[in-house]
Amino acid sequence: MILQTQQLSKMYQVGQEKIPALRGVDFQANAGDFIVINGPSGSGKSTFLNLIACIDRPTTGEVFIEGQATSKLTESQLAELRKRKIGLVFQSFNLIPVLSAYENVEYPLLLLGVSASERKQKVMGLLEEVGLKDLIKRRPDELSGGQRQRVAIARALVTDPKIVLADEPTANLDSETGKQVMVIMRRLNEDHKVAFLVVTHDPVVTQYAERTVKIRDGQLTEETNHVVAHTAS
Amino acid sequence: MLWHIPLRNLFRNRRRTLLGLAIIALGTAMIYAMLGYVDFTLYNIRQGTVRQFGNFQIASPLLWNEKTEKFAYLIQPETLKKVTDILDKQEGVTDYTQQLTFSGLATTGTKTKVLRSTALVPANKALDYNDIVLTDYKEHPEWNGKGLDPTDTGKVLIGRTLAKELQLKTGDFFTVTMTTVDGAYNVGTLQVKGVFSLNNEIAEGQLVFLPLEYGKLLMNTEGVAKLIIKVDTLDHSERIATEVQEKMRAAGLELEVRTWEQLAEFYRQIKGFFNALFGFLMISVSALVFFIVMQVLTLAFLERTREVGTIRAIGTRQSQVFSMFFAESVMLGVLGSLAGIVLGWALAQGFNSLGIGWTPPGAIAPVPVRLSTTLGNAWMPFVVTAIATILSSLYPVSHSARLTIVDALRTS
Repeated sequence: MILQTQQLSKMYQVGQEKIPALRGVDFQANAGDFIVINGPSGSGKSTFLNLIACIDRPTTGEVFIEGQATSKLTESQLAELRKRKIGLVFQSFNLIPVLSAYENVEYPLLLLGVSASERKQKVMGLLEEVGLKDLIKRRPDELSGGQRQRVAIARALVTDPKIVLADEPTANLDSETGKQVMVIMRRLNEDHKVAFLVVTHDPVVTQYAERTVKIRDGQLTEETNHVVAHTAS
Repeated sequence: MLWHIPLRNLFRNRRRTLLGLAIIALGTAMIYAMLGYVDFTLYNIRQGTVRQFGNFQIASPLLWNEKTEKFAYLIQPETLKKVTDILDKQEGVTDYTQQLTFSGLATTGTKTKVLRSTALVPANKALDYNDIVLTDYKEHPEWNGKGLDPTDTGKVLIGRTLAKELQLKTGDFFTVTMTTVDGAYNVGTLQVKGVFSLNNEIAEGQLVFLPLEYGKLLMNTEGVAKLIIKVDTLDHSERIATEVQEKMRAAGLELEVRTWEQLAEFYRQIKGFFNALFGFLMISVSALVFFIVMQVLTLAFLERTREVGTIRAIGTRQSQVFSMFFAESVMLGVLGSLAGIVLGWALAQGFNSLGIGWTPPGAIAPVPVRLSTTLGNAWMPFVVTAIATILSSLYPVSHSARLTIVDALRTS
């Protein structure tokens, strides 16, 4: 098991009032899973993603990454864990503007202290897999939205993480580009045997999922198993 | 350390970076120019003071403490011999001379003026006043003359103001009246051999220079008031003076050394004033640089809030974020300060080429105003503004490094 949550809850303090964003969520993901977490705005799906990405701390409950409890880890231990085991894909791509496509993908490897030759091999391999081999020198502002998201996917995968967490990865893309991105993610999921967990409210994205989990009012309400129809464009 | 990121971020918003660099460079250039002015002015005063006082002087403590009754402070020939023996053997001493000073009245028959007479060995190399004698003065050619030479006896050099007030010209005679060391009145006749310029109206109205032997004759003494010593380098004055003092003490001589800086109260006051003024201006400019650069950096880092959230989310530690942003500030500070030194140097060269001068209070002719542009003056403004920039970055840098990842990622 790659990821497990136990009674995961998150409360937000708004003035004097405590607002529950997540209420006792139990969840599991295994290696190679492709899971879509679906839910309307304000349902708690982004909160859930932040907690399992270890960039936010739960009010109660626990997140286990490969069996390791994370709630007691220090900031720097969490940074180490994110660096090695978690890949992140954001809605707005979140690339570093001053770095080229190649350098953006290379960045996490620099944090890990990987040798130059290994970095080059990994970065070029992934950029080729996402179809950007010829655009490696371009900066984010010289790339289209779809290309930027593909760079972000390559960056998320370059450290061979156990799980990739994607927050609305198609929300800022047109539907055709969104489909292309989903196809790429699905293919990489199969090729790299890495678990993907995609948070979205886009119903199209669910077509690519093996499992769809619904969140409503901070609780898991439904789980559906899908037969995946699209693995290639 | 990911050096390429701060370097590229530095030029990400060129206009803002240029503003930051311009502020730092201007601050550095201002401090460099101010320091150049202070340095040049103090150098000139120092040179003038050393020319006036020598590098150090030797006299009786009675003279230094202004206990001048009955001329007990005079150094008699036997003592003088012992001192000159020490000076002859002292490393670093290049020349020395003796001096006798006394007050008196100058009379031309129609006018009388108070004099401060300095009797010294003519054409000596330790304290030579001959080079201030007017030789080609167009306004009053009748004042042009020559310096004193060892064959002169009843000859004297007078200041321009005195020459004007007593209506004297070169070759004229006047009478001088004074009290001898024994308390008797004495009268002598002096012939004007030359008129000098010191660019100081008061000094030019009172000072006269005459040969030492003639001064001794007028004062009826074999003693001298002090010895004036010149050394090889100004910087060695203090050390050599101390060594001579120790040797005199060992020889049982009750004489005391005073360095030129101890003697020149005016120089000390000017130096203190300039140091205070420069310190105040340096702090003001640094504070200005500090606050403006802090504003520039705060804005620069604020617009990267989401980026900080992203790099933190993908595993960059807080300390690494701090290092990246701090490195950017250091680069800004160093580049800005370097540019400031170049700018300050260029401005100082331009200013110096204008040949501006001003007439200080009490001076007769203008003195040049210049900005010293030595490399030795560059390090202080460079360090001060670079440190001001780096300090100004600490708050925005640490604030950026401590951002909560989730909040940072939510920032649009």
